[in-house]
Parts: sequence; structure tokens; C-alpha cells
Amino acid sequence: MSRTICMMSDFFYPNMGGVEEHIFNLSQCLLDNGNKVIIVTHSYGKRIGIRYMTNGLKVYYLPIKVVYNQCILPTLLCNVPLIRYIFIRENVDIVHGHSAFSALAHEGLLIGNMMGIKTVFTDHSLFGFADASAVITNKLLEISLSACNHCICVSYTGKENTVLRARVNKERVSVIPNAVDTYMFHPMPYLRSKENITIVIVSRLVYRKGVDLMAQIIAEICPKYAEVNFVIGGDGPKRWLIEEIRERNGLQHRISLLGTLEHSQVKNVLNQGHIFLNTSLTEAYCMAIVEAASCGLLVVSTKVGGIPEVLPEELIYLTEPTVPALMEGLETAIHDLKNGKSVCPYVCNNRIRQLYNWENVTARTEIVYDRIFGEKQGTVRERYERYLSSGVWPFLAIVSFCHLVLTFLEIFVPRKNIDIAKNFPLKSSKKGSIKNTQNFIK
Amino acid sequence: MTRKPWRKNLYENQEYPDNYTDNSFLQELKVNVHFKPITFRDGALGATLVVHELCTITAFVLIYVYLYNEWIDPNYIFYWTSSVTMLGFAIYRIKFSTGEKHMFGHDLQTVLIFLVFGQLFSPVLYTLTDTISTDTIYTMTFLMMLVHLIFFDYGVSAAIVSNSLSLSAAVFASICLSSRLTSPYQAFILMTVSIKCFVLFPLLRNKIKKSFSLTIIFVTLVGYFLLTVSVLMTFIFIFTVVFLNVVCPFLFTKYQEYKDNIYGPWDEAIVQTIDGTE
Repeated sequence: MSRTICMMSDFFYPNMGGVEEHIFNLSQCLLDNGNKVIIVTHSYGKRIGIRYMTNGLKVYYLPIKVVYNQCILPTLLCNVPLIRYIFIRENVDIVHGHSAFSALAHEGLLIGNMMGIKTVFTDHSLFGFADASAVITNKLLEISLSACNHCICVSYTGKENTVLRARVNKERVSVIPNAVDTYMFHPMPYLRSKENITIVIVSRLVYRKGVDLMAQIIAEICPKYAEVNFVIGGDGPKRWLIEEIRERNGLQHRISLLGTLEHSQVKNVLNQGHIFLNTSLTEAYCMAIVEAASCGLLVVSTKVGGIPEVLPEELIYLTEPTVPALMEGLETAIHDLKNGKSVCPYVCNNRIRQLYNWENVTARTEIVYDRIFGEKQGTVRERYERYLSSGVWPFLAIVSFCHLVLTFLEIFVPRKNIDIAKNFPLKSSKKGSIKNTQNFIK
Repeated sequence: MTRKPWRKNLYENQEYPDNYTDNSFLQELKVNVHFKPITFRDGALGATLVVHELCTITAFVLIYVYLYNEWIDPNYIFYWTSSVTMLGFAIYRIKFSTGEKHMFGHDLQTVLIFLVFGQLFSPVLYTLTDTISTDTIYTMTFLMMLVHLIFFDYGVSAAIVSNSLSLSAAVFASICLSSRLTSPYQAFILMTVSIKCFVLFPLLRNKIKKSFSLTIIFVTLVGYFLLTVSVLMTFIFIFTVVFLNVVCPFLFTKYQEYKDNIYGPWDEAIVQTIDGTE
């Protein structure tokens, strides 16, 4: 069945990260299955307007200023004319917002909902309940999701978190994990060093990724095991911490800091290593460990958030997020490696291929789309009532104002005066062309 | 047909729909993990710290009123407060000595510097705000003292606590008040008292164990002198003290049962940062 799906998020190419990758790969697979997919994001520098990516994936870079952390100002109303125009022009059936931190996604959900379009939301992150900022963010999410047709979370822990903080009915939340392109992340054991053991870390160097743990472990492992080297990819405000440890202990020749990596370089860096170390303090899914396992590395990771759900026991060493526990995990991995007890990289890659692939993720997402297709969108009154279920009355003013603007636009920019965009003439819309897509990202 | 039991991982549950919710849903949810119930006595004892600071402020303002109306000789106030301060200093040094060697000379030097500069600048001080209406000054003082009370360090590590802001507000309020006085000497006395009340006194009070008897002495003393100024104000003062020290802790302990902190696997792990930042 062909549908027109509009992915909305502040985070998209040329930005790089888990969410961006998820949107891109999911869109490609959806296109492959004969759907029409457009992506709406804000502009990145000179990248403004409509661009086409692989297989005619149409991307709208809206001319909206970025305010904070790659997000637009959450006005919820200022971009109604623009977004309405796009929705009508592209005949959108389903609006799919990504990431709770994206203001644009929430804006799209609100406008889509008020225009009677079905809405889906994917939550990629976990959030605590402890401080004031969490209380406010959670309330905003609750308001936004109260009118959403369906939510998707990337792990069961993520689902528990979303159900708790946004008070969504748990029947309306599906768990669909991320996937990894196992053809791209395939093992290349010939890149590994024969004499030394290389521990690879690929992550942004920020507090949430556990840089403090990382630094302490490096300082402890290096004197203990002379044959162990570190390769660290990624950059961030805490990079100096690693640099300081490196300087102070005279480890320049054993720790290489590579800085920010292009996505295409990641597999080469991963394949240099024997062991992958992840020290995250919180994580909904953690794409990095799956990519590493797909390259056949032994994965040592902290047991936080959704990480214990991701990999089967034989592929991962799970530890508590403390220095002694991580040390123990790493040492076990090193000993297993020395004694040849580690799993063969190619077997690893095959396992991951069976567990996670984008075709499977796409098929499951399409089930969600089919499910909500039959749902009734309800009258304006019913939509108002759904927003009210969150108990925040003032928000109704925004919703009704949005409705007024839409009604107003219906008179001044009538539907019939908006040109319907032609579809991209996709020549080979059959299974198998996914390979080409993945070649493109390489 | 029986299905394999559901397990909380992302790769084994193909037989279940994606929006399936198992009975184990939210089993790892914990509520009020680090919760220690606070008794009324604890709460009231903690509240005495606020009452002490309130008493200090009231006492300071009372001294201003006495000086302003010239009900008392400024020298008399100076001698009295200074001897009390000396006593406090002696207690602080002898009883709460932390073992390290104290530089008595260093302390004396600080006092001398303060006295010299205080004397030098008090002529400027007492005419500083001549062009400003007295009402404005009193309102300003009230607001600044409120800021002082709010940001004062009561020994609880909260984000709002700011010693420097609290102290600055108090000093600013004292400067406002001393600029209403008629002579530089009076202004100097009031500034001296202000330093004693807001800088030195909290240092000593930090060391003394919380107790109700001390609070009763403070409140009675301040209440007695307040009575000589205004009966209405005395009633308001007593009412505030009762509200702070009885009603607030009572409500706090009563509403503890509604505390509902949620913890679960999604919480960020807490690690000791090396550099002390986040």
C-alpha cells in the first residue's frame, strides 16, 4: 500500500547521529517498499530549500533560524503557513515526528493533528524525573503526545520511560529497535594489529557518555597491560580530560585521539580494534555497540538504560557503571581474547544481521502505519478534548489559535490554489535497490 | 499454540506484536529510594535557623531605630555589641578551635583595617542617599533583607544558596539605612553592627548545635525591644516566628506522604567527576 509519509525532525543530514541515521535509513526502506517519503527539517547553513537525496528522497530544509542545540524556537505557531503548504502540496497521509528534543517535530505533530492527518512519534531518548527541567520537558511531551496516534520507542526501557513521563496509553506505544547496516559494518580482521590489543571508543566526549569513567579506566589499564592501545574517535567539551590523562602519564604513543569522525570512517576505525568500550551513563538503545558487534569486536559496556536489551549475552560484557566493574569487564574481555575464547567476527556479523536489519524495522513501522490508518481522527472538539487530557488548560489557547490560523489560511490560501507536487519518477521501486542506497552512505 | 515466554530484550520476541505489554512492565520502577522521613522535631529544629536569621535582621533594624531616634548613646551600642562580639570571638576560638595555629595578629589586623576604613568612609556614607526619599530607602532595605533571607546558607546544599549574594544584599541594606542617620559616627556604628550581625554572627552560629532554648532566648530578647517600638510589629514578629517554626515544619512533615520520586533503569548513572563539573 502506498502512503505519503512526512518525517519531521530538527535532526537530519548534514548533522550526524543516531536519530539522523534512523530517519535516513527508514525513509530509504519505505521508499523501496513503494511509499512516498518526504523529510522536513530546518536549514543547515547554506542548505536551504528542497534537496533530493538517494532514490528521490525529497528533503525540505525550511528557512527557520536555529536557536539552541540544533533546535528551532518552539513557537508551535509561527511556521503554520509554511508547514500547512507542504502538507497539502505533498498530500501527506502520515506525519512522523522524531526525537523528543526536536521542536520542529512537535510543531509538525500539532499542525498535522489539527489538519486531520495521522501522526506518529518516535522517541529516541530517555529522560529522568529528578529535576525541574525534567518536570517541564515531560509535561510538554505529555501535551504533545496526548493527541498523537501512535508512539514508537527504541527499547522496552524507553517504552517504560515514555509511558511514565508522557502518560501515553501503553497500547499506543510500540517498541521497534534501531537497526544497523551490517553490510557496511562488516568485519575486516586484516586491519587489526597482530601484536597489540586495541581498545576502540567511539562516542561524543561529553559527560553523559561517561568520559570521566573512560579517563580513569585508561589511566588504570595502560600501566597494567603494556600491549593494550586505545583509539578514541569523537570530540566534545570533555576531550581535554582524556588529553590530560594522556599527557600526564606519557601515553602519547598508546592513545590516539582521532577527533570527529565521518560516518563513513567509523567502520574503518572500529575494525582496527579488538575490543569496543562503551561507558555511557544513560542510553535508550545505543547504536554504537551494535555497530561494533557487527564489525566483530568484543563489546564491553555499562549496564544502563536500554543497553541490556540490545545484544545477546554472548556478544557483550555488561558491567555496572563504576571504574572497578568496568575494569573487571575489560580484563575478562582481554583474557578471553588472549585465550581465543572470543566469538569469530564473521559469526558476530551474521548474528547481528539476523537480529537487526532495516527491512525488518521498516516492515514493523509499516504495521504501525497500517494500524493508525483505520483510526478516526475525530472532530475538532474531540481533538481539543484529547489535548485537555494532559490537564494544561492554557495550551488549549495555542491549539485553538492554530485552528483559527488554519481556517484563516483556508480562505486566503485555499487548498485548490496549491499545486500538488509531482512524484519523483522512481525507476526501480522494488526490493534489492536498498543495496545501492547503502553504497551511497559509504 | 503456546508462545515462548516474553523476555525483556529486543531480539527474541518475534511472536509478539510490537505494542505488546508484558506483565513485567514497569517492574523495575522504584519509588522514594533515598527517602528518609523527617520528624516534626527535625523540621522545627531546621526552621530555627531561619528564625535565628530573622531575629538577627530584626535586632539590626531595632538598633537602627534606636540610633535614628537618638534614644540611646551611639557609644553605648558600640561598647555593648563589641563586648558581645569579643565574647563570641573567645568562644569561637577556644571552644571550636580546629587545631590549626591561629594568627591572632592577623585577626587584629583585619579589625584595624575595618575600623580605619570604616571611619574614613562613614562621612561619605551618611549623606550618600540624601536625594532619595526615606520611603524608597525603607522599601529597598526590606527587599534586600528579603533577598538576604532567601539566599542565606542554612546548611542545605540547594542551587539557590549563594553566600555572596546574601551577604551583599545585607550590606547593601545596611548602607541604605546608615545613610539616613544624622552623623558620620552613627553611620560608622551601624556599619560595624551590620558586619557583626551578618558576617561574624553566622560564623559562630554555624558551630553551635541547633537548639530550641537558644531560639527562645533570641525571640524573647528581640520581642522585648520590639515592644518598646511598636506593639503591632511585635505581634507580627511573634506571628511570623510561630508560622516559620511551628506551622511550616508541621505542613512539611504532613505532606511528606505525598512524596513520589520515581527511579528506574532510565536514570542517568551517577559517577564521580574528576574535574568536579558536569
